Parts: sequence; C-alpha cells; structure tokens
Amino acid sequence: MPRSPQISGWLGHLGGERLGYRVFLIAILAASVAYGVLLALLRAHTYNASLTRWAIGLVALLNLVVFAGPILISTDVFSYLAYARMGVVHGIDPYTHGPVAIVGDPVFYYVGHDWLHVATAYGPVYTLLSYPLGALGLVGGLWGMKLYALLASAATLALTWSVARRRGHDRVFALLAVGANPLYVIYGLGGAHNDLIMLALMMVAVAFTLSDRDAAAGATVVVGALVKATVAVLLPFMVLARRRSAAVYGALGALGLCALAGWLAFGVHGIDVVSALSRDSAFVSTDSFPNELAHLFGKPGVFPVDHDLLKAALVLIVIHLLWRTWRGYDWVAASGWALLAISVTSTWLLAWYILWPLPLAVITRDRRLLVATLFVQALFIAHQTSPLFAPVS
Amino acid sequence: MSRVRLIETTLLILFGLLLAAATVNDVTRQTHVNQRLIDDLRTWRAYTHHDYHNLSIEQTLFGERSQREVVCGNTTPGAPKSRIQVCLAIWGPVVDSKRVVHGGWYLPTGTEEDLRRHRYGCFGPASRGICPTAAEAAAEHRSTSAGARA
Repeated sequence: MPRSPQISGWLGHLGGERLGYRVFLIAILAASVAYGVLLALLRAHTYNASLTRWAIGLVALLNLVVFAGPILISTDVFSYLAYARMGVVHGIDPYTHGPVAIVGDPVFYYVGHDWLHVATAYGPVYTLLSYPLGALGLVGGLWGMKLYALLASAATLALTWSVARRRGHDRVFALLAVGANPLYVIYGLGGAHNDLIMLALMMVAVAFTLSDRDAAAGATVVVGALVKATVAVLLPFMVLARRRSAAVYGALGALGLCALAGWLAFGVHGIDVVSALSRDSAFVSTDSFPNELAHLFGKPGVFPVDHDLLKAALVLIVIHLLWRTWRGYDWVAASGWALLAISVTSTWLLAWYILWPLPLAVITRDRRLLVATLFVQALFIAHQTSPLFAPVS
Repeated sequence: MSRVRLIETTLLILFGLLLAAATVNDVTRQTHVNQRLIDDLRTWRAYTHHDYHNLSIEQTLFGERSQREVVCGNTTPGAPKSRIQVCLAIWGPVVDSKRVVHGGWYLPTGTEEDLRRHRYGCFGPASRGICPTAAEAAAEHRSTSAGARA
C-alpha cells in the first residue's frame, strides 16, 4: 500500500494485520484464478434471474469493499489531489508546475517521488472536475476522489450491462467480466484512478451511438479525451463506421467549448494535451512489454529508436483497423483493439492501462479481443510475481 | 474477409507467444536479480555484524548491467538514514550465499541520497574515482560551513 493518511483506520477493528506485498501478490493471483474459473463457469451456465441477482450483488460488494478500504498500490490519487489543491488553495497552475510547488501542503508528503516535479498530464475537463475536491482538505478530498471512482465504476458497469443487452450479448457475463476483474477492482478502483471516469465516458459514447445520437457520441468522446486523452482513439472508428457527419460536428463543438473553458481556466498550457502526451510517452516502466522484449533480446532496456519503432507499429495497426472498419468490421471492436495496441506498445504501462479495452471487449462479437485483453492482463500479473520466488528483505 | 481474419489470428498468436516468452524471461531474470540482492544484503550484514533490515541498494552506480551493487545502512540502530551510514560496494561470484566487498564509504547522518560529495572515510579499491578528492572534500566542507553561517 502506498503511504497514505489513515482514511480506513476503523477497518483495523475487524482484525488482521498490515498487508505485505507478498501476501498481496498471493491474493491477486488467487483472485485472478477465481476470476478465470468464474468466467469459464458463466460460459456453461444458462441465464436466470437468480444468477443475475447474484452477479449484481457480487460486483456491488466488490466495489463497496474496495471503496471502504485504503488507497491501493498507486500514489496517483495524491497527484490528482495535489494538482487540485495547487489550483484551488494555492493559486498555482498545475499545467506549468509540479506538486513540488506546494511543499508545505499536507498532500505533498504523499505524492509519488517520481511525480514531484511533473505538471499534470490530464485534460482540462478532469482538472476542473477535480478542483471542488481540492477545497475539501486532504482526507475529504481523498474520499471525494474515491467517490468519483466509485460513481464512474458504477456508470461503466451499468452501461456495459445495458450496451451488452442492446447489442445481443450475455449481459451477466459482460458485467462480471468487467466488474469482477481483479485489475479493475484492485488496481483501478482501489487506486481511485481517473481512468474509470474516462471509461464511463467511453461507454456513454458507445451507448449514444446505439440510440443514433451520433453528435452526442462524438461530443462525449471528446469530453472523455479531455479527461484522459487515450479515449480519443475511438473517434475515427466511430466516424468511419457510422458514416455520418453528426459525430464530427458533435466532436468539434465539444472540442471548441471545452478548449475555450480550458483556455479560460488555465491558459494555453491547459489545452496543450499533445505536449503532455509526448512527455509521458518517453517514460519507461519495468512492467511495459517493450521493456520486457528488450530484455528478451539482450538489451538493457528501451532506447529512443525503439520509441519510434513502437509508434510506427502502432500507426500501422491503427491504419489496418481503420481499413477493416471501412470494410464493415465492428467499430467498437476496432476501438478496443486500438486501445489494447496502445497499452501493449506503450513503454509506460501500468495495470489500469490494460483495463481500457475491457468494457469494449465484452460487448463485441469478436471474442478474440476479450481473449487477447485477458491474456495481456494475465501476463501483466505474472510479471509481478518475481518477489514470490526470491523475496528481498 | 475470412482470409484476413486467419492472417490476423495467426499474427496475434505469434505475438502472444512472443509476449509470453518475454514475460517468462523477465520474471526469471528478475528472480535472479532478487537472489543476488538477497546475497548482497546478507553480505552487508555479515561484514558489518549488524542484523539491520532497512538497507538501501543502489544497482546503477557502477553501470546498469555491471551486477555490482552498493548496499547502504546505518552504523548504529535508528530510523533509516537517521544515523551515519556505511555503504559497501559488492560484486563477484556468490560463495556461501555471500559476495565480496571491494570497498566502501560512509555517509553523514540524515543523508537521503548517496551522492559523491557526501562520501567520506572511503576504503578499498571500489572507492577509487567514486569518492571526492581531498580538494573536493575541502571545497564541500567550506561551502557547507558557509551555508551554516548564512
């Protein structure tokens, strides 16, 4: 668990002991096996009302338990709060300064060391959304962030359920495949990541297309991209598949309005999403697949030329997917593949990034996407396990 | 479109196998690294005769792939880095679950980062070129004293 203020101290009365990393790894492995068995059983099970109630109850319970507990695994939520407090409490632009600008603020102590000097990479919509929480103090703001994550998770799951039904898929399977996914629950919700807000908006956009509200769908994708830019990848597939200009007009309208709001609130830095993305794409995490491949081929790590090769590979994949979409392939599946390709080719891979394609994977007919997504997630979890074989202490 | 799908599926399976191989290779590699670090910690404890557990390990000082580590820990009981620390440069083959100490240095109380200018009392061949020269140490001492006066 990251360093954190005591927000769930009352859970200590239930007994138990402090969670160590080794126990956490065993628990996440057990949860992953249980999740795999659950999905296999669901495939063989026939749909009935009691199964539906049981599935909703399980997912609700998982969400609420994690919501009530402490912040898990990541310090990102403290960065979110630090950026909010920089703007609201200290009058400092989070797009031009890192949390180091508020050394005296109580949240500073909890921000991850690597991010102290880094300005926010999130879009202006998210930053504005987070500002009210900045005024609530450290603990109040933290609970606010957790509430945002819980509500976003609930919206994502409700929309996954609804869209799966409308597209003729097994909604119980779809709900459990997302809502009981260990990475979704433990890493995504447990860390109160803003990726969940992005996922909720992504699913809103998909739901709008099912109601033929293309302008609203295009606008929602843009709003989502101004939370976290990755979701913008849906737009070309949506436009190409729907072959309606309404989505483009909706997207342009939303972009204009949000950019204006961002510019008024933060100046030009608030709408310069490209610079933030370029900066972050240069980072390298130990869990990224390019880093693992570099090790496999005897290199110490990823070199600058590898970044260019990976970008080229990603462009080729997206072009192929666009061509397939033009020829009639499901645009939702194509978007999911593109999101999966982004996470696999990224040199900066975190657990919650491989959640991006999951809600799309359970509402498409192309089952390869779900298999590939779960396979990549399984590899990610397997990569965490080396401390189990040789615990350093 | 079925031919395209077949090609896609084949490529996906091949790429999946490549990723799986990379993951297994990385877990194995990291397990070996962890085992080496365990031996390094054991070496530090044996050398200093302190059974402390809050030790820090620097793996890149002698190069990313050098397999030469620097392990630092307090010289007396206390919170991590709150006492004078002794750092040992450790490398070589594992013998009896330990490796060889090739030198080291001390760090003053409260030093967060093992920087060249902080090192003193250097010993052994490993400290050559790693520790500040006498002139550098004098300059550092002067600037610290001036800072303290200001």
